[in-house]
Formats: sequence, C-alpha cells, structure tokens
Amino acid sequence: MLKPQTRAIRAIEVSMLASAGILLIVGLLLNDSFFLRLATEALIFGGLAMSVDLLLGIVGLLSLGQALYFGFGAYLSALILKEMTPSFGLTIILVTISSALLGWITSFIALRSKGVYFALITFGMAQVVAKIVYNTRSLGASDGMMGVPIVQIWTPVGIIDAAQPSTFFMLTFITIGILYAVSKYFLNTPMGSLWYAIESNENRLAYIGFQSKRPKQVAFILAAVIAAVSGSLYPMLRGFVSPELIYFSVSGNAVVTVVLGGVGTLIGPILGSILLTLFKSVIGSWTTHYHIIIGLIFIIFVIFAPKGIAGIMTKLYGFKDSKRRGN
Amino acid sequence: MVNSNQVILVAQRLSKRFGGLIAVDDVSFEVQSFGVTSIIGPNGAGKSTLFNLLSGSFLADTGEVMIADQVVSYLSPQERLLAGMARSFQITNLFFDLSVMDNLRIASQALESKTKLYLPSRQSHLAKARAEELLEEFSLTNSCDQLAGELSHGQQRRLEIAVTLATRPKLLLLDEPTQGMSAADTEDTSQLIKKLGEKITVLLIEHDVELVMNLSKTVIVMAQGRKLAEGKPAEIRSNPQVQEAYFGEETA
Repeated sequence: MLKPQTRAIRAIEVSMLASAGILLIVGLLLNDSFFLRLATEALIFGGLAMSVDLLLGIVGLLSLGQALYFGFGAYLSALILKEMTPSFGLTIILVTISSALLGWITSFIALRSKGVYFALITFGMAQVVAKIVYNTRSLGASDGMMGVPIVQIWTPVGIIDAAQPSTFFMLTFITIGILYAVSKYFLNTPMGSLWYAIESNENRLAYIGFQSKRPKQVAFILAAVIAAVSGSLYPMLRGFVSPELIYFSVSGNAVVTVVLGGVGTLIGPILGSILLTLFKSVIGSWTTHYHIIIGLIFIIFVIFAPKGIAGIMTKLYGFKDSKRRGN
Repeated sequence: MVNSNQVILVAQRLSKRFGGLIAVDDVSFEVQSFGVTSIIGPNGAGKSTLFNLLSGSFLADTGEVMIADQVVSYLSPQERLLAGMARSFQITNLFFDLSVMDNLRIASQALESKTKLYLPSRQSHLAKARAEELLEEFSLTNSCDQLAGELSHGQQRRLEIAVTLATRPKLLLLDEPTQGMSAADTEDTSQLIKKLGEKITVLLIEHDVELVMNLSKTVIVMAQGRKLAEGKPAEIRSNPQVQEAYFGEETA
C-alpha cells in the first residue's frame, strides 16, 4: 500500500485535474471569464510557490527572494512578446534558457551561505534587482510595461491565439503541469535523493562520497527556471508587468502559500495558491483588509497544522491506515 | 587478492593543535591490510581527533596521510572516500528523516556512474542491490521502511556501520561502534567487526578494552595526544607504560 503522504499528494493531483476540467466546461458554457482568469492567476503564483517549496521543503533552503526569478521571467516575457514575437513557445524557450543561466550565476552568490544567511542573501538580491528595475526607464521604471500583446501558439494546424480566457487557462494549466512533472521526475532520481539527504543531514553527505554543493546548485537552478517560467505567464494573462512583481511581498506570499498548502509536497503549494487566491477574491469583495484574515489563518496553520493542507490530509490517511490495521 | 602484508594506511608524523592544546602530537603508524587494528586510550587522548585527521574532517597541521600509496593529506572526506576509506561516527550520524532503505540506497549511490544521477532511481541497480545486501547483513530488513530516526539505539548504531560500508570501502574507520549498546548488541557487533576484518581492513576506536583485545591483531595506545605503544594485544597488556597510563587510570 502507498504511504499516507503519497496518497494525499495523489488525491490533490486528481482533485485538481477534475476541478480544472469542471471549471473549463462550466466556464465555456457560461461564457465566464472572471473565474477562469482568477484560476489562471492562482496557477501562475502556484508555480512560484512550487519553486519555493522545491528549495524549502525538499532541499531545506529558505529562499526569501524567489520573486527575483518570477519577475525576471515576467519582464523577459513582456519584452519578447512586445519587441520580438508574440509566439508562446519561443517565449517559454528563451525564458527557460536565460533563467537557467541567471539561476546558475546567482547560485554562486546565494549558496555561499546556509540557513538564515541564505534567506537574507536571496532576499537582498531580489531587493537590489527590484530597485534597479524600478529606476530603469527603458523597462518602464515604476510604471512597468503595458500593452503586452495576446500570445499566439504555433501548432501544426495553424496559429491559435490565446484571447479566450479558457484557452489561456488551459495553456497555463499544461505549462504548470509540465513544471510539476519535471520536478517530480527529479525527485525520483539519485539527484533528488541527494536533495532529501541534504535536507536531513547535510554534513553526512561528504562521508558517503558526495558534495552538497552541486546538488544544491542543480536544485537552485531548477527552482529559478520554474519561478521564471511561471512568471513569464503573468504578462500573457494581465497584459502588463510592474516592479512590484519582484518585491518582497511576492516572495513572502509564496512562502506563506507553501506553508498553507503543505511544505515538501510541491502540489500542496499549488493547492495553497488556488485557495489563497480564491479567498482573497471572496473576502476582498467584502473588505479591503483581507490581509489581516490571511495573516490570522497563517498563524493558525503554523501552530496547529505546520505541514499545511497536504499535511492534514496525510494525517487523515494515516489514521485510516492504522484503523484498518486494527490498532 | 591483495597481499595481506601490504600497508593500506600510513599516518606520518601527524600533529593537530587547537589553540594552546596539542590534540595530536607527532603520531606515526602504519596499518597492514586486513584484520582489525585498534586505537585505545583514555578520554582526551586524541583518538577522535586522530580519526578526524585520517578521514579528512580536519586537515592536519603537519604530517601526511596515505591510503595505499596515495597521499591524501589535503583531500576532502569525499575524495578520501573515493580513494577507498570510509568512516563511521561516534555520535550516530544518519539521515534521520529518511527511511532505512533510503539511507542505505543514498549511501550506495557513489557506486553508480555519475551519469545515472539524472536517470530514474529505479535504474540504479548497483545501489539498490548493495542496499538490499546490507539490509540483510545487518538484520534491518524488517525495518527497511521505518525512518532512521525511529529506530532503537542499537539498530541506529548498526545502520551507522551499514551506511559507512555502503560504498564498499577497502579501509573502514569505526569510531566507537558499540557506544551505548547493550551487552548482547555489543557481542553481535564485535562478531560482525571480526567478520568484516576478514574481507577489508578495519581501524577501530573503542573504549571497551576487552572487546579490543579479543578482536585486534594490532593495538595502538594513545595518551595525551601521543602514541604511547603499539603491538599485539598480549604485548600491550604487559606493557608497564600502558598499564600506568591506561589500565591504571581505568581501575583508579
């Protein structure tokens, strides 16, 4: 029988796939755009949260500046779409390659330190870049860039544009799904095992013949790419980018999302992002002070359910198992 | 087969100083291939520091370490492991949040080629086979899905040795493997170490003098950072200097 956590993850995956299908059908039937766009945004920030979880939950590195890569992806995507080509595929490819490079370069700075210093360095790097972007006129300075055209997908049967919210929702769902699948693939390789080993006891690694530096670097680059590709979808949805995307509020929010959804599960943070986005939208229609409520929920989770929603589900499956075994 | 009189480990005039304290002071010895060689000495004699110098946890201030004919004095623990030397820890040092199986599988991964790092784990046949072999050998098969942190102390000590053996080292450094074990577990472990000594070379730090005397072909005695004596167990027992420094203190 599968382990409780594996089953919790499976359950979240299945329910997410089902809800996406239902949302798509209902959205198409009712010609809705609000909820489809809301769900798309939730998935985009879910991708960012997933990249934070890869570092935090799997390798044990708390990044407080993941918005650096998210914002990098968003700005690069906006630039490519506006100045070069509205092609979706080409944008994603270029963002993937450049963010891998950026992740590689910045990993040398960030991975010099551990623990709280790693958190502070990632935070600092993102703040520096945010300030630079904020003051760079050619990137629109504090206004950001507007007028990003609607993306086009080049398929063998012709060009499809993503003007329909349902089309872009599907595109986002598939993109985030691929990012998730790639991360899961890595977790099932010896490289992924080394990540878990680093999280558990980094110092022992040298005595079984591995350095921790290289695996950490691979994870860091992968997380950068996931954040950047997620970010590249943002201007496609909203038609604009602004320096706020690189700010700490975005990085911090991603960490909160990871904790609420379930640290170390990768899918939990995506679920967390969907619930938080929905929550913000619903409560935000009653009061503008929804941050207070989200803050309270965060505190309650940290105290009573530090492993988030996925953790609660894992516990429930664990109870069921032990009942069946008759203890 | 390697000639059993071949020297596998050489420590040449090793010294290590921590501030004003000379923890290891000009220690030299050779370890012949196969069998068990032990290092004993009262607390603070510098045994653990010496182990750390041999395994690369610390670099020596002066002196050389050689594995077979290779000088490894400036190599990292990871590189020394690849040269054939593995070590265990006095304070259990495992991947406590991972299962017993994962501990052994990850520890065996160094046997695989580097290209397999990015292929699915199920294709790492060598690592998996080695892990299963060790589960069997250390009677941990029934606990293979348990987290290492949930094992009993005795099981954790066994797993500690198993993890150290995963990479098939030629030279095994064991730092008080029976520390905190029950009498029965200690007996089992000493049998196990004896058996290991038939296949590879074991260098052992141990507090249990009787255990050492029964197991070892050579015993090195340390006191106050220096090597006090070296010889066969019987010679060590009758050495007056040793009796004064070690056995005298033990009974006092």
